[in-house]
Amino acid sequence: MAVRPAQFRRALLQTPSRLRQQNTIQHSHPELQHLLSAASSPARLFSSTVTARALNTPDYAVPNPSRPTHFGFQTVTEAEKIERVATVFTSVAESYDRMNDLMSFGWHRIWKDHFVSSLNPGFSPLASGLDPRAPQHILDIAGGTGDIAFRMLHTAHIVNANPDVRVTISDINPAMLTVGKQRSTLLPASQQAALSFVEANAEDLTRTTPLSSPGTANPPTSAIPSASVDLYTVAFGIRNFSNIPAALREAYRVLKPGGVFACLEFSKADAHPLFNTLYKEWSFRAIPLIGQLVAGDRDSYQYLVESIEKFPSQADFRDMIIDAGFVVGGQGYEDLTGGVAAIHKGMKPRA
Amino acid sequence: MPSPPVASRSAGAAAAAARRILHPSPLRPATRWATIKAATTTRTLTTSRHHLPASLSATTPTRTSSRPYHSYSHPPPPGPFTPIESLLLAAAYRHVPTHGFSPKALARGARDAGYLDISATIVPDGVFSLVQWHLVTQREALAARSAALSGDGQKGGGVASRVEALTWERLLGNAEVVGQWQEALAIMAQPSYVPASVKELAMLVDEIWFLAGDVAVDPTWYTKRASLSAIYAAAELFMTNDRSPGFHDTRDFLRRRLEEASEIGNLARSVREWLSFTTSASTNVLRSKGVQI
Repeated sequence: MAVRPAQFRRALLQTPSRLRQQNTIQHSHPELQHLLSAASSPARLFSSTVTARALNTPDYAVPNPSRPTHFGFQTVTEAEKIERVATVFTSVAESYDRMNDLMSFGWHRIWKDHFVSSLNPGFSPLASGLDPRAPQHILDIAGGTGDIAFRMLHTAHIVNANPDVRVTISDINPAMLTVGKQRSTLLPASQQAALSFVEANAEDLTRTTPLSSPGTANPPTSAIPSASVDLYTVAFGIRNFSNIPAALREAYRVLKPGGVFACLEFSKADAHPLFNTLYKEWSFRAIPLIGQLVAGDRDSYQYLVESIEKFPSQADFRDMIIDAGFVVGGQGYEDLTGGVAAIHKGMKPRA
Repeated sequence: MPSPPVASRSAGAAAAAARRILHPSPLRPATRWATIKAATTTRTLTTSRHHLPASLSATTPTRTSSRPYHSYSHPPPPGPFTPIESLLLAAAYRHVPTHGFSPKALARGARDAGYLDISATIVPDGVFSLVQWHLVTQREALAARSAALSGDGQKGGGVASRVEALTWERLLGNAEVVGQWQEALAIMAQPSYVPASVKELAMLVDEIWFLAGDVAVDPTWYTKRASLSAIYAAAELFMTNDRSPGFHDTRDFLRRRLEEASEIGNLARSVREWLSFTTSASTNVLRSKGVQI
């Protein structure tokens, strides 16, 4: 099977029109379909990114600014969603942590602590420094205010006494990163030195910009190299992405073989109907109201609860992770508080 | 892991197994009916009843634990471990005798398998999964050992002696990790892991009674399993403090407990017989006196 796409590409270059007549093949194999559309514009076929993506990425996992997606209960294009999510988080950045406490009765701290301790970053069965594999690079996506990153550093540096752990906090939104950067000044100097803040879109980590002071013009961009990350975490962020399959594939690219993708996200509590009813009442009635009273921004919190509702169930999201190439242990996820939130983990297998 | 060929089992045992399928089990009624129907109509002996420790062919992970009965007519359900879990746990298990059922063993195993320290964190229950790996692999190894026991010509000893031999074989499976076994028992006793541990114990004793050739489908199905569970758990605990060569103290302990259980069983049977005789005799006496019963 592995040879066939290459053979097809050769055939396509020779006789694209004849092959395009074979409708059955065209519709049965999404990869080929993608190739065929690429072949219709020969210039694109020779661009390396397009061919690389065409060969192993299904169409739905390639970001497309004009493809429809959902923003809460509304349908918008992917490009529009990026803008509107940016507006939401710029407006909530200042009150984000206070609001989290109010909305979840402080329980989000328990989830985050459990998430980090279940990953046990910095743990090494040998004394540190003896083995080249002991240092770890953690990439915290959508980690703006640093909640997860600071816990990771604490576990790695203090609990596991492994100073060779560094964390890159990445967020698409500079307002959230600025809040995180301010909070990080309270950390010990050694932990601050192990932190870096970059602005990037999780669907394309080849272009990241270090968080800089607002005056700097043309900040340098750099790429997060392939196979360079031990642990990729995203906590309460992935449901805001415009194209989740593309982000999962980008996570797969930057992780080392054996590296772990870990996601903490709101999920479905359908297994407990009574509890679910109360939870839904709370979400749809109380949370927008609290948002209005405390943060003066009802719409952003309305979006928040709607986006939770639209996010796929535990099993569906697990299948998306497997589809991106990861392998999972057990059922692939762990429910927290009856499924209000869930932790999904996947590992990049060795090639 | 090789599965014992089903065809080699006697037809009597196969029929008995089909009867066992009819035995009440905590399945939904529809499922049970379907199972009964399949068992009575097809009776095909094509599939092995032995469940593999990790069905490496499984593509989608399932945590569906094995069903509570043995079937000749249906393929075994997938094991509780996904392929990657099996790989990581098998590698980690080699470090258990030195490092115990610990995150250290898991991380070292991941390194041995060519992965990173962090890789082992995808194993869902961490160290408890490692304990489960031991329990499941040892339980499933029992079928092969049972075949070896019958090969030695010990089969003539009856069900009771085969139960003792199999229980002893299973206890010997703990010998390699006996130094770490108290730690493992402590992990199994953690409240969130208790249901899974108890279920695994139930499946083990069911396996032992099945392999011993017990075909009873009366209420003793439950009492046999309950008493063997208690005896096995006690013997396992006894073994963790046993310093005698070849664990012969544990062996004696096990024999004494099983004898006691059969004595109690005999006593119960005698009491029941006496009661039923006395009841019918007194009824007859009353009838002979003209009482309308």
